[in-house]
Amino acid sequence: MVGEKSDLLPGTLEMLVLKALCLEPMHSWGIGQRLDQWSSDTFRVPQGSLYPALQRMLRKGWIRSKWRVTENNRRARYYSVTRAGRRQLEQQTAGWDRASAAIDGILGLRLSDATP
Amino acid sequence: MSAFSDLLERLREIVFRRRRARELDEELRFHVERDAEERVRRGADPAEARRAAALALGGIEQTKESVWDARGVRPLLDLGADLRFCLRALRRSPGFTAVAVVTLALGIGASTAIFSVVDAVLLRALPYPSPQSIVRVWEHAPNGRRMNLAGPNFDDFQSQNDTFASLAVYGYEEASISGGSAPLRVNVAVVSGGFFHVLGVEPARGRAFAPDEQRPHGAPAVIVSHGYWLRYLGGKSDLSGFRLAMEGVVYSVAGVMPEGFDFPAGVAAWIPRELEPELSGRTAHNWRGLGRLRDGVTVAQARANLGAIARRIKDQYGKEVDLDDVAVVPLADAMVGDVRTALLTLLGAVGLLLLVACANVAGLLLARTAARRKELAVRAALGASRGRLVRQFLAESLSLSLAGGGLGILMAAWAVRILPAVLPTNLPRQREIAMNAPVLLFALAATVAVAVSLGLFAAWRAAAGDLQDALTAGSRSYSGGGASQRLRSFLVIGEIAVTLVILVGAGLLGHSFVRLVSTSPGFRHQDLITMEFSPPTPKWLTPEDQTDVARQIRLMDGILARLGAIPGAESVGLVGALPVAAGDDLADGDFLILDGQKPPADLEEFGRMSRNPSRVGHALYCVAGEAYFRTVGIPLVRGRMFGSQDDLDSPNVAVISQTLARERWPNQDPIGRVIEFGNMDGNLTPLTIVGIAGDVRARGLDLPPSPVIYVDYRQRGMHANSSPTVLVRTAAPLGEIVSAARGIFHDLAPDVPVKFSTFADEMGGWLSDRRFLLLLVALFAAAALGLAAVGLYGVVAFSVMRRTQEIGIRMALGAERGDVLRLVLGEGARMAAVGVVIGVAVSLAITRLMATLLFGVSATDPLTFGGVAALLCSVALLASYIPARRAMGLDPDTALRYE
Repeated sequence: MVGEKSDLLPGTLEMLVLKALCLEPMHSWGIGQRLDQWSSDTFRVPQGSLYPALQRMLRKGWIRSKWRVTENNRRARYYSVTRAGRRQLEQQTAGWDRASAAIDGILGLRLSDATP
Repeated sequence: MSAFSDLLERLREIVFRRRRARELDEELRFHVERDAEERVRRGADPAEARRAAALALGGIEQTKESVWDARGVRPLLDLGADLRFCLRALRRSPGFTAVAVVTLALGIGASTAIFSVVDAVLLRALPYPSPQSIVRVWEHAPNGRRMNLAGPNFDDFQSQNDTFASLAVYGYEEASISGGSAPLRVNVAVVSGGFFHVLGVEPARGRAFAPDEQRPHGAPAVIVSHGYWLRYLGGKSDLSGFRLAMEGVVYSVAGVMPEGFDFPAGVAAWIPRELEPELSGRTAHNWRGLGRLRDGVTVAQARANLGAIARRIKDQYGKEVDLDDVAVVPLADAMVGDVRTALLTLLGAVGLLLLVACANVAGLLLARTAARRKELAVRAALGASRGRLVRQFLAESLSLSLAGGGLGILMAAWAVRILPAVLPTNLPRQREIAMNAPVLLFALAATVAVAVSLGLFAAWRAAAGDLQDALTAGSRSYSGGGASQRLRSFLVIGEIAVTLVILVGAGLLGHSFVRLVSTSPGFRHQDLITMEFSPPTPKWLTPEDQTDVARQIRLMDGILARLGAIPGAESVGLVGALPVAAGDDLADGDFLILDGQKPPADLEEFGRMSRNPSRVGHALYCVAGEAYFRTVGIPLVRGRMFGSQDDLDSPNVAVISQTLARERWPNQDPIGRVIEFGNMDGNLTPLTIVGIAGDVRARGLDLPPSPVIYVDYRQRGMHANSSPTVLVRTAAPLGEIVSAARGIFHDLAPDVPVKFSTFADEMGGWLSDRRFLLLLVALFAAAALGLAAVGLYGVVAFSVMRRTQEIGIRMALGAERGDVLRLVLGEGARMAAVGVVIGVAVSLAITRLMATLLFGVSATDPLTFGGVAALLCSVALLASYIPARRAMGLDPDTALRYE
């Protein structure tokens, strides 16, 4: 799996999961579907790394989990965002914006600007 | 997020790990089913969809593993598994486990036991409130000698100082005490008013002394120790009914000191000093000074303060006093004295022993690792990570060390219980030795240190070897062990070096002891009974009050005559102080050589005259009778002894020791010279030297013979600073002579307390601490030697096993048994030689630290070093000889096929 085509930057998976959970509580398969849907084909979320990521976020207190019955009458574990999780998402988004703006700026330079 | 809630969460993970595992299973099952449904909906084959779903997840088991990793409790869960695994492994090799655990237990147990002594004697604060403020106080003589306080001087110190919260004096003497359930001969302390305040301890029952009990001719009252109260007063809480009689005085019992209060050591009762009016002069140094400093006052300030008072006393009383300064020393230091070096030597020796024990166990672990290489390689190949293998070694050394430490603490607890029976009686504070928190903490620290160092060592070994190599290294069971075999040799070399250091220490102490015991003290101390007694002493001798002296002389002559008539008493002598046994307490001072000069009129003039060094000498002062020399066997070298013509009215005579004659009158004849030694007894009558007696090591067997001036008790009397002692030479049983002597003393001097003993016992007490130190260090050295021998044996035996085939080939090619013997012994001898060289170098550097404990041998005594090295080498050869014999007995045919 690793190295195939998952160009997902390290640390962004948690951000995306938080974003997905901000919309509505979801079970893990649903999160995976949602991320796939968002990414279309630009990057791929390795399903296997979703579970350890959820576990880490639970430990950090960003999300919490609850067993509920799905629309198809099956038991599934639903995850939802905590207040700490929302704060974390805001911080990460702001950080991401700053970083990507900076990188955009660098990449947008014409060659002549870069040479002294 | 706080570290605390993280920890809580991790704990929850461990506690609920089964439920968490079930939940994860269910969650992943749901994931796979849901994903498969989705794939089926998109048109996949149902059976194929399930496989694809699991594949997309990246494997169900792998996902589970990575989730557990993310939970952050992996190491803890693994540790449990590792511990269980290693306990199983240790159970499978009980021999290895037992040897390792017992070795560590011996090392840790012995270190802990010795530390308990060091802790009680050197480290622990005295059991009194703010003990650092308590000091001992002495008067200081112009020649630098420390003297106890004279009563009137103490009174001045007490009333004039402004640095002490409280200043007190105490003394103690043996007394018969009756009125309890049985009469008893005990030590009784006589204490001044501030005594209990200085120590900050009050009676636990009853009350302190009332003012009416602390004045001359007041109501006699006594405070007793907790032990005496329990045993002889039945532990009754009502003290009002008890009346205790001591030396003819009846005391009411005022109070009982708390349990464990033991100052001065071994005392059963305390009585007020003020009951007896103090009549003695300013040179009667009868009282031990004790003080509690005011808050914020340093020892130096207190010393300056009392020193100023001492100089005022000297200015005011001049010729009547013999002090010119004071000494102030913290009580804890004063009590420990010169025990420090001995205890630190012991601690050092036992620490080295622990080091040898650790090295031995490390060697065992290495051997075990080498033997398990294939097992480890297989496990590595099956997917155990290197970290996991390292953790297993850590778990193993941890469990061995903990078991060893636990057993060691039990051994130390046992040792602490029996220590009081074997410790020399003159070791201060030994009653406080206990298995308490600091001692347990030490044991714990030692255990943890051992565990960590062994664990790191094992982990390093496990990580260092290339385990894949071991798998491919062929079928030879031990072929991979080359590197670890080298490391084991280094360990053994280290063990031998450290063992040599301990052996050298033991050897030097033993050599000193032999020297001491075989040193002639200058007299024969066997078959001598000593009777120390305190006759009424004349207060201050001047030619005018010779009636006092005459009375005393008559009493002593009477006693000696009756004692000499006891059947079995061969000879009876009298002396003012026992040589060796009295040791440091012997009186010494400067004397004047008059030779025609007029004798000084008083001590002040004596002082002026003694400023001329060509007319001054220094010697011990000893009052004796003529029979003393015959009784103990000190020969007359020249001139004459005291005789019947020497009495109170005839010119005073002196006999001097050979050393003094040689030192002060080299190439001259001292006989006939006139000297003045009145500063010792206050009698300024000059002395004429009439004889020279043999030398005596009066200060102790470990010191050169002292210069001595003997004077005749029939002319000078026994002054306050003497402890008159009758010596009876006899081959008869001690008991018969003593009971007869007791009757005689009772007839002639019923009020005089007498202490019966033998000269050998009095001297033996002086040797007992040396004997104890030697015994323990020798014990540690023997233990280290045994461990080193076992370690060496292990390495050589293992090497023989590894080289079985090689030896077989050599033998097949014609090597003789002698060649094989040389081959194997050579390996052991090389290790021993390197270890000995290192050990000698280290010993040369550190034995100097114990120089004060040695006698007659230098800290680098070549004989001891050589002997110890030879001993160690022969033990090493013996240890290698056992595997060598096995090697010689090999059948080449079998050996070649040996795998």
